[in-house]
Amino acid sequence: MLDDAAIPAGAELDRLILAIAATGDRQAFAHLFKHFAPRLKAFLLKSGMPPGAAEEIAQETMLAVWRKASYFDPERAGASTWIFTICRNLRIDHLRRDRGVFVSDEAIPEEADESPDGEQLFMAAEREAEVRRALQGLSAEQAAVVRLSFFNDKAHSEIASELGLPLGTVKSRVRLALNRLRTLLDEQK
Amino acid sequence: MTIRHHPSDETLLRYAAGRLAPAPGRVVATHLHGCPACRERVRVFEAVGGAVLDGMSPVPVVPHALARALAAIDAGPAGRATSLEGSSTPAHGAARTAPPLLPDGIVLPAPLRDCAMGPWRWAGFGVRASALTLPEDPKASLLLLRVAPGRRLPEHGHSGLEFTQILSGSFSDAFGRYQPGDLTEMGAEVEHQPVVDPDGPCICLTALEGGVLFTGSIGRLIQPFLRL
Ligand SMILES: [Zn+2]
Repeated sequence: MLDDAAIPAGAELDRLILAIAATGDRQAFAHLFKHFAPRLKAFLLKSGMPPGAAEEIAQETMLAVWRKASYFDPERAGASTWIFTICRNLRIDHLRRDRGVFVSDEAIPEEADESPDGEQLFMAAEREAEVRRALQGLSAEQAAVVRLSFFNDKAHSEIASELGLPLGTVKSRVRLALNRLRTLLDEQK
Repeated sequence: MTIRHHPSDETLLRYAAGRLAPAPGRVVATHLHGCPACRERVRVFEAVGGAVLDGMSPVPVVPHALARALAAIDAGPAGRATSLEGSSTPAHGAARTAPPLLPDGIVLPAPLRDCAMGPWRWAGFGVRASALTLPEDPKASLLLLRVAPGRRLPEHGHSGLEFTQILSGSFSDAFGRYQPGDLTEMGAEVEHQPVVDPDGPCICLTALEGGVLFTGSIGRLIQPFLRL
């Protein structure tokens, strides 16, 4: 599911965002764009977006990365996670606009505001390393079930048709995959 | 405050993935506001999202995409965000003055302060209900319920998941006792008969997945408040 060797290390991606925040480094932005834009597009296509919209939201996400770079805090979330959450919010926003409801992205409170000061946070780097190790500990099917949860609204029924399994089976497999993920994460503590 | 009942991992994953409908999403957001443990779980699932994004096989973007992005950056009115941006949220809570009060002096939780609160109306069975209107989905059904002390709600089921966050007071059903900060998630297959504890009224926030119908007599009670 994950091919760590093929991608720049998380810390390197973090540094690129910090360079944008510090000096408006366009070179850093170009590097980030080359890594993330094609992955964002792939992610959005897999989410069922038409190609035009997927291209547009991938682009909007990268522009938001530029604009919001000063809010990026590598102690809260790594680059991929932070960019994933921006893309997630823009996708929701896009779907709302399609329904004729306009709530600007700027109005969506940053997740970061949720946590009161002084909350004991796990270091993001540690959390992300644990998550990646745990994901690698899942079976191929369990990893597929977890991955598909990010792409489908009607998670269970669509996962069922995608994997060619009865609905009840999928419900229990999602539960099993998440239990397994939790066990793998707890074991690392 | 010890929170004993939390959203399932499935629900927290769907929330982190941006896949939960607006009304259940607000119930979960209200729970998260008071539950550091679930906030950390959501961060874990967001990190899963980051790993999924990183693991995608790249799909080429249009040839001039980067050039277009750089041009938009040059032309952009704001450039990079400053402290000005992000604080201008006129439609949202920060701009409001006093948060609306619920009965018994309970303050509407922060994650709901941008919602318009409907009038409190008697619904029978010792229940008063107020519908909340979400700016992001005016048709979503999100209800505040205030149930009188000691009241037993009719046994009921529902055709989808029911999410309930306790704001004040407490109730019990065959599955446990629920207190402020707790979230209960009832599957469609489950029938339950909540009984409010006798020491005070219970105020809770309730959403049904997809706005589907309650079954049984509570359906007739709650139905007029749902935008169906
Ligand atoms: Zn919780």
